[in-house]
Amino acid sequence: MAGLRLTFHLAGINNQNFLMRDEETGSYWQQISGVAISGPLKGQHLTLVESDELLFATWKAEEPHGTVLKDVAAFTRDYAPKDWDKEMKRVRTVINFPERGMKARDLILGIQAAGASRAFLYDQVVKEKLVKDRVGAEPVLLVLSADGQSVRAFRDRIPGVHGAPDFYRLAANKPGALFMDASTGGEWNFQGCAVSGSAKGTCLERVPMLKDYWFDWRNYNPTTTIYGR
Amino acid sequence: MTRRRLALIWLLSLAAAFLSVAYPLYVIWPFRAQGPRELAAALLVLRFRPAITVICAVVAIAALVLYWRLQKRLVWRILAVFGTACVALLAFAARVNIYELMFHHLDHPEFAAADHVKLANDEKVIVVKIGSAARAYPIRSMSYHHVANDVVGQTAIVATY
Repeated sequence: MAGLRLTFHLAGINNQNFLMRDEETGSYWQQISGVAISGPLKGQHLTLVESDELLFATWKAEEPHGTVLKDVAAFTRDYAPKDWDKEMKRVRTVINFPERGMKARDLILGIQAAGASRAFLYDQVVKEKLVKDRVGAEPVLLVLSADGQSVRAFRDRIPGVHGAPDFYRLAANKPGALFMDASTGGEWNFQGCAVSGSAKGTCLERVPMLKDYWFDWRNYNPTTTIYGR
Repeated sequence: MTRRRLALIWLLSLAAAFLSVAYPLYVIWPFRAQGPRELAAALLVLRFRPAITVICAVVAIAALVLYWRLQKRLVWRILAVFGTACVALLAFAARVNIYELMFHHLDHPEFAAADHVKLANDEKVIVVKIGSAARAYPIRSMSYHHVANDVVGQTAIVATY
């Protein structure tokens, strides 16, 4: 940013979303948006890096040569337990938006696209396994992995193929394939790439998606809509 | 310069130093809702409070020296010294961000090959891939550190949770 490599620290909290401060300029940044809200770099945006939240086994199968952050021995006893997300559900929030039956700590998958924002209840996506929807004018596809927990979002259009594909979930998990499309007859994997059919080798465009609590998503996306509500 | 005026100067410097430290602490409190204006004000104070509190400390010490010469009663001298020490302490406290002490961000995170880490298959990880470099950040450790300053491939990133 501005020719500087910035080093960030957690420096505060704003309605339960944390603030970061960079050492180099002393500017304060909002974690969820990546925007500097105070200091010499106020108004600057960090570039979002595409990321996923996956189960370790699912990721390792895709990236066997990947590397994993090591524990820091001095702090391991303070690391979160495995069921930390169940514990977090009980922690109170300071802001709340009880709209359309939503509770503060409902887990959602949030997508911003084409100037619009939309929240997808995580449990609902897990139940449906494949969700076809629109965020503003952007067609999106949310796909549940075979592990039953990891979710990715894609643009619901096959590059180079005219018209809307008709994706549907395979009835049973087949190794390397999760869903099919009627237009090319292809099978697609969790990375959004066709493993068979006329579009074999083509990959769907990824759509950035954030797994968040409803209260936090809604606080930064005041005009968000909710899938299914 | 009278003793009264010096005492007033000294009190004002103590008040300014105290507010510089206390106001951001009050606003940026974990389980307290923040409005955008008070947050902006608190962050502004945070940025300038090291300088503000140093000025207050210098003023307080100068006032103390003059006051000491004019004030012969021991009890008032002691009170003035104590109060000036408080201003100096506040100047020190102004340089401390409690969050940066509590949460141990990672400046030089270390990584191991996926085959060499002891993670259960159902552990949740945040993953990125830049070029051919794939990285995973376990949520159970990131939910403690919250911030990892990293370089993936040739790209400097900050992983946050």
